[in-house]
Amino acid sequence: MKNPVTVASGTFGYGQEFGQYFDVSLLGAVTTKSISLNPKAGNKPPRLVETPAGILNAIGLQNVGLDKFLSDKIPYLREQGAIIIANIYGHNPEEYAELAGRLEAEGAADAIEANLSCPNVHDAKSAKGPVLAAQDPEAIMRYTQTIRQATKLPVFVKLTPNVMNIQEYALAAQEAGADGVCLINTLMGMAIDPEKRTPLLSNTVGGLSGPAIRPVALKMVWDAARVLKIPIIGTGGICSAMDAMEFILAGATAVSVGSMSFRQPDAALLVVKGLEDYCKRHEISDINELIGSIKT
Amino acid sequence: MRFIIDSEAVSNELAAPEHMRLRLRVPEIGKAAKPGQFCMLRVAEGLYPFLRRPMSFEQIHDDGVSILYKIEGEGTALLAAIQPGQTCSIQGPLGNGFPIEDDFERHIIVAGGIGVAPFPALAHALKQETGRAPEVIIAARTKKFILCENLFHESGCAIHIATDDGSAGEKAFAADMLRRLAPDGKSRVYACGPMIMMETAAEAAAETGANCLVSLEARMACGDGACLGCVVESLSDHEGEKMVRVCVDGPVFDASEIDWKAHNYQNDV
Repeated sequence: MKNPVTVASGTFGYGQEFGQYFDVSLLGAVTTKSISLNPKAGNKPPRLVETPAGILNAIGLQNVGLDKFLSDKIPYLREQGAIIIANIYGHNPEEYAELAGRLEAEGAADAIEANLSCPNVHDAKSAKGPVLAAQDPEAIMRYTQTIRQATKLPVFVKLTPNVMNIQEYALAAQEAGADGVCLINTLMGMAIDPEKRTPLLSNTVGGLSGPAIRPVALKMVWDAARVLKIPIIGTGGICSAMDAMEFILAGATAVSVGSMSFRQPDAALLVVKGLEDYCKRHEISDINELIGSIKT
Repeated sequence: MRFIIDSEAVSNELAAPEHMRLRLRVPEIGKAAKPGQFCMLRVAEGLYPFLRRPMSFEQIHDDGVSILYKIEGEGTALLAAIQPGQTCSIQGPLGNGFPIEDDFERHIIVAGGIGVAPFPALAHALKQETGRAPEVIIAARTKKFILCENLFHESGCAIHIATDDGSAGEKAFAADMLRRLAPDGKSRVYACGPMIMMETAAEAAAETGANCLVSLEARMACGDGACLGCVVESLSDHEGEKMVRVCVDGPVFDASEIDWKAHNYQNDV
């Protein structure tokens, strides 16, 4: 990465959507919307509700599919000179492996981020009901190992906060050979229209993002950082460079700006600049010195 | 070219009960905007409400734009509190506007409630560029909710009023008024309003062979095509996508592209 700032998958489209506001190659990397082997239509609308200092979404991984991603979306990012973290989603470990392998073979990604934690699709099922791969340490290991064997690219595993003890899940990813983890995906939530007595999302429940979840995300990064040897990309409600610094001090090696790009399209670039200013102000020559340096 | 810039509120006044008109000085956007396009307005300096609000351009001038809005929730209540001289962050122009084409003998606007918002700019542009002022159907709950009548007059439009209670014009539905105007294959209808009104207007237009464009509204986070929150189901294979985004694929669509039957009217505001 060119600097420690990227964008959260799903909040930055395929990069081109924001290219009209700023040069996206100035970011540490562009993390693209989850891509699956075949196109996905996603959930029915309504998919979005605004909640206090946050957004509840149930998009359902709508995406153009791998072929169109390679032919229509990647060339733009390559022309811009952007570092690409390709976020991938599959129905089983083999699909993730195929996605990672093809992205590497086509030179379409500089790193892979495996989305094992989308709360809005119900492909994975356990005997007790729907479960995400990221809610089962054994599944995290199986998925991660399979992806690991399919590519030499760095592999990051995006984990869910909807678990009791994040350390257990983060360690599973590390043990299976992940190069890093991304923390956190959205928190499960819901909203109801009391007048109509109906849920506000067609999917009834969705994932909460935005500044409302920042303290939760920060604590999970801090928890994971104390047991992991591999880097963490910290994400969850980061709106400013000061927010990003909180994550770095808690142990994140890099950060991603998520929902804030919806409110302010150039928010991630402002974080890049703000971190440079912070380092100047504190006479820090290498921001990596600050990773996990919280004084407790 | 899209901008994210600070505009200056020139005025923010009541246009009808619960409805306000906000004039913004912002030449960059005034010069770039086309009728039917929209902007995203930031309603709070703090992080709540978090998202910007999508608003279509009511009038477009070289020095800025006006926004017509209904006070509906927390976001629009904050907009209503903006004082002249205050700054307001605006992002735009966004989306595809109405095509201004000379191939039609008649242009008929069907406006329902706050759905009238994008039409004064359209009427003005049609008059300027085709020489033909559109005919306008303004459908409103009651007399006091009729908006923009004077602006349509200024563009030389023939105006037909429909109210739910007959307190002004005729007690009629917009689609029935449209049928009575007898459009034909050389007419283009432009509809914006509640989904059910647009669906019935599109049906009425289709019966007569008229072309019908609709301008859709949806909750959206970004306005740039990234969040995928504002989708509607489409019948046509819109670049291979069944779900079309109101923000960048629209907000103006050919009515025949929309899968009206898939829309869940329970969810309408």
